[in-house]
Amino acid sequence: MSKEDTSSRWRPPSLSQGREAIIHPMTPDLETTVKLHIYRTIAETTKAPSAAEVARDLGAGDPEVEAAFGRLYGRRLLVLEPGDPTRIRMAPPFSGIETAFPVEVRGRRYYANCVWDALGVPAALHEDAVIPASDGFSGEPITLEVRDGRPVPQECVIHFAVPAARWWHDIVYT
Amino acid sequence: MLLFRSEETVDRWCAAQQVPRRPLVSLEQLWRLAVVWYENRLTAESRRPTPQDMVGIFASVGLEGPFWDPAADQWAGAS
Repeated sequence: MSKEDTSSRWRPPSLSQGREAIIHPMTPDLETTVKLHIYRTIAETTKAPSAAEVARDLGAGDPEVEAAFGRLYGRRLLVLEPGDPTRIRMAPPFSGIETAFPVEVRGRRYYANCVWDALGVPAALHEDAVIPASDGFSGEPITLEVRDGRPVPQECVIHFAVPAARWWHDIVYT
Repeated sequence: MLLFRSEETVDRWCAAQQVPRRPLVSLEQLWRLAVVWYENRLTAESRRPTPQDMVGIFASVGLEGPFWDPAADQWAGAS
């Protein structure tokens, strides 16, 4: 048992085991390798790589990597650019394009897809962050901050306009 | 989902957009959701929560009911 005092920290519930979770960490398949390369590239550079860039970096063929992009989209781990399935629009929580949800981490500026994902960036990177956001109606600046692994209290609320059953009907709007 | 300073600006946004007001979530609740969804995203084992997982995750932060159920039929025609 860890000696770290975690009694005051909230712990997430464990996820049930799905078939896709059965991947040996030492022998990842191409899909897993592509996913990890995408996320590690974004973490290091803040930019989402194209399928051609991933193929080049991994020494894989463009068709195989593009097929992996498609499978990751099918598992809702990626959203591809409409009309160009070789480019990433979202690798949640990261955005492949600049958005109204920048996230500043250690001098780097990432972009998130929404306010949930803006908090997801420091959660994924296990880093503190500053999120220069704004009121969705008035535009008033609202700066969110994650410090020491917790959000700094801020006067704000988050409104979910779309029910969970319809989030993926138009994920960009959601 | 959008961030607002107060419930007042939520109501003004809903009126301007002509959409009904839907559930509000606190910053602390959203942080907990972000941690569950993304804390392992940079690992080989990461995956998106299943619909069944999602119901349990939302309930664990106090968000319950059909709005938070990805399999809820009643929202099939909603926007």
